[in-house]
Order: sequence, then structure tokens, then C-alpha cells
Amino acid sequence: MLCKRVIPVLTFNDGVLFRTKTFVPDYRYTLDFVDAWSADEIVVLDVTRPGAGERANFEAVVSEFARRCFVPLSAGGGVRSLDDVRRLMAIGADKVVVNTGAFERPALVGEIARRYGVQCVVGCVDARKTDAGYEAMVGFGARSTGLSAEAWAQRLEADGAGEILVQSIERDGSLQGYDIELARRVRAAVRVPVLVASGAGNWKHFADAFRDADVDAACTTNIYHFTETSIASAKMYLSGAGIPVRIS
Amino acid sequence: MRVGIVDYGMGNLRSVAGAVEKIGHSADISDRIETLSACDKLILPGVGAFGDAMANLAARGLVDGLERLVRGEGKKLLGICLGAQLVTRRSAEFGDTNGLGWIGSDVARIDEAKGVRVPHVGWNRVRRTRESVLFDGVPDDALFYFVHSYRIDTNDTEAVVGECDYGEPFAAVLQKDNVYGTQFHPEKSQRHGLRMLANFLDRA
Repeated sequence: MLCKRVIPVLTFNDGVLFRTKTFVPDYRYTLDFVDAWSADEIVVLDVTRPGAGERANFEAVVSEFARRCFVPLSAGGGVRSLDDVRRLMAIGADKVVVNTGAFERPALVGEIARRYGVQCVVGCVDARKTDAGYEAMVGFGARSTGLSAEAWAQRLEADGAGEILVQSIERDGSLQGYDIELARRVRAAVRVPVLVASGAGNWKHFADAFRDADVDAACTTNIYHFTETSIASAKMYLSGAGIPVRIS
Repeated sequence: MRVGIVDYGMGNLRSVAGAVEKIGHSADISDRIETLSACDKLILPGVGAFGDAMANLAARGLVDGLERLVRGEGKKLLGICLGAQLVTRRSAEFGDTNGLGWIGSDVARIDEAKGVRVPHVGWNRVRRTRESVLFDGVPDDALFYFVHSYRIDTNDTEAVVGECDYGEPFAAVLQKDNVYGTQFHPEKSQRHGLRMLANFLDRA
């Protein structure tokens, strides 16, 4: 049986690990922090604002992860062209995460999928809760796509995204649990695997996402930074709760 | 040992090279048959579309070149993911395309009607169906990382040494004479993946 995945998402500002929301730099970061032997995949995102840093500093991070971690590595943030993808792939990324770039230039996802295959593109849905449901946002959550989260996910899928990563702007950094309703809606809207992020504060939140929204992967930006064995502990908890996960 | 990694313009060659180096061998990434010919063993990696891959191999003279090295001279080759699919007879991806034809199975899209999401992404169990040196020191039912939308059928029962279930059984590990293949990515499958890669390099 295909295992449910647990994926740390690490955000970097100019090559320095930041916890989202609080935006406090964490200079203690080392590769050991992500407990590479228990993580099912690793996602690294460049959240550097335009003009506020050097892309080379993020690429150095990608390169280091690729060299040291023998699990799949996704890289995103600032992916705008096939050339950006080529550079990330050349230094060891296996997949790229796209959001704003796909909105600004609708051909982008198709270009990547044709060149590298659909499994190489993770389409990101950054959702904001509204009275009517969920609105898909781009540009660091500041610009509306004018589409619902479900419609944006469907467009990314139709263009060639092999997986959808759904994030909640409200829950990001809240530690209050994932937005299960959002995850459910997006998963029902597409036929490709769905990864949920934003809001995990404890192991039970992962179990909730797997059980109540049947997502394929649960991502977290926060709790893995606390100890070196947290992913292994999370997996033990999930396994005990009857969820198929990889225990290495 | 020098390991030749076949570069035909598709796939994450750097991670495969990194894993080979981690195991303690040197990796030559090349699309030149002279360079590959000087290597002790070959790895055919790859992600992307089957048709493009065969066209790229042909454009570099590698269809004939690999036929000579692998089938003619008996050099051992491991195909990974798309690379494993390329050693079969044909794929139905974007219309039928002939493969290298060294394994008597075919490639078809994973059937969504069996209630599974496509692509098949993540860690899944591999069940050994025949003995193979690739499994030395790897526990039965070990988990490996898969990411693919097409799968190799199990028809060539002599070549299929490991199977995985996703909606239906498909070929996960191949071995026939000097041709080896894994549908999953050993270079992305941590301990067991590195062990399987080491088995190909050091024991096969």
C-alpha cells in the first residue's frame, strides 16, 4: 500500500532558514534538523522578496540538500521560466513548486511538464478563506487570482501539475491544525495527489488530515525544527493511529 | 569502479551520480559511446516522456551504441524509472513507441479506473517474486520511492523479480541476464535504495 507522506517544508530568506509568519531567522539550522533519514521528501522554498537577496544563496541551499539527502527534493519560490527550472534541476532538485509564475504566465506549467514530465511540477494553491469559500492567491498571498482554490487547482492540474500543494493563508504558522475543509475541497476537485500544508501544531493534526481529508501528504514548516527526532516520533504516532507511513 | 551514467538530456543525473559516489565509485555522466564503453557498468536514468527519451537516445547514436555495449559486449546496465521502461519492448505513451526491447514486457498508463491517483507518487512496498542479487540485504516488503504515471507490466515473468501494487500489480524490479531495472528511484529511497544500488555496482 502506498504510504502517506510526511514532508518538512523549509522556507529560506536569502539562504537563511526562516520560520514562516514569525520571520525570525534560525541560524541553528543544519541538515540534521530535518532528520533526513525519516523525512519522506523535503521541500525548500525561497521566500526572498524581489531585490532583497541573491538567488545564489538559495541555490546553495538546494545544492547542499541534494548532495546530502537521498530523498526527493522539491524547490520553489520565484520559479518563473523553464530556465529557472533547468537551473534548479541541474543542482539536484527533483521537482519544482510553482504558484505566482504559473499565474503570471499560464504557459509555464505546460512547458515544465512537457520538458520534465508531470511528476516534476507541484502546483501550489495558496488559499484565503472568504465568505463564499476559498480564494486562490499569488504574490506572497497579496494578489487574488480571481479564482476559487478548487478552480485554481484544476487549472494547474489541467496544465500539467502532477501534484497539488494546498496552503492556507490564515492557518500558516497558527499551529491550530490544517484547514480540513479546504484540503477536502481541493482533493475532491482534482485527480492528482494532494499535499496539505499550513497549521500543523502536533502529531494529531497530521492524523486528522490523513483521516478526515484523505490527503496524500502532510507538510509542516514548523514543528520539525524543534528536535532532531521529531519526524520519526510523528511517524510512530501515525503508525499507532493506523495510518500507513514509512518507518525507517 | 567507473560507472557510466547515460546522459540523453532527460532526468536528474546529478542525484544518481551523487548516490554512486556515496557508495564509493566514480561517476561519468556522458552521452558519448566511447566514454560509456570505457566504464565498468552503466546506469540509464531518466524522467519524462518515453517517446522523447527514445528520440533523444537515437539522436545521440545511443540506441545502436547501447545495443552494442549491453547486448553485444554484455556490459551490465541498470535502468531507473523511465530508464527501466526504456529497456522494454514498447510504451503506449503518446501512441506506441518502441523501446530497446531487452525485456519482454510493455509499458502502459496506470489505470485510474482501479481507484488510484496518477501519478503514483511516494513510498510503496516491493514484493520479491524471484531471487535477485539486487535484493541482497534488503528486507522483503521494503519501501521505495516511486514517481511515475506509466508502469511496466508483469508479462515477462523471467525478468520481473519484484512487484509493487498500485491499483494492480506492476513490475518494480527487473533482471534478465545483464540488464537490470527499477521502476522506483533507488537514489531517492534512502537506506534500502542505496543498498540496492550498491548491490548492482558491487555484487551484480
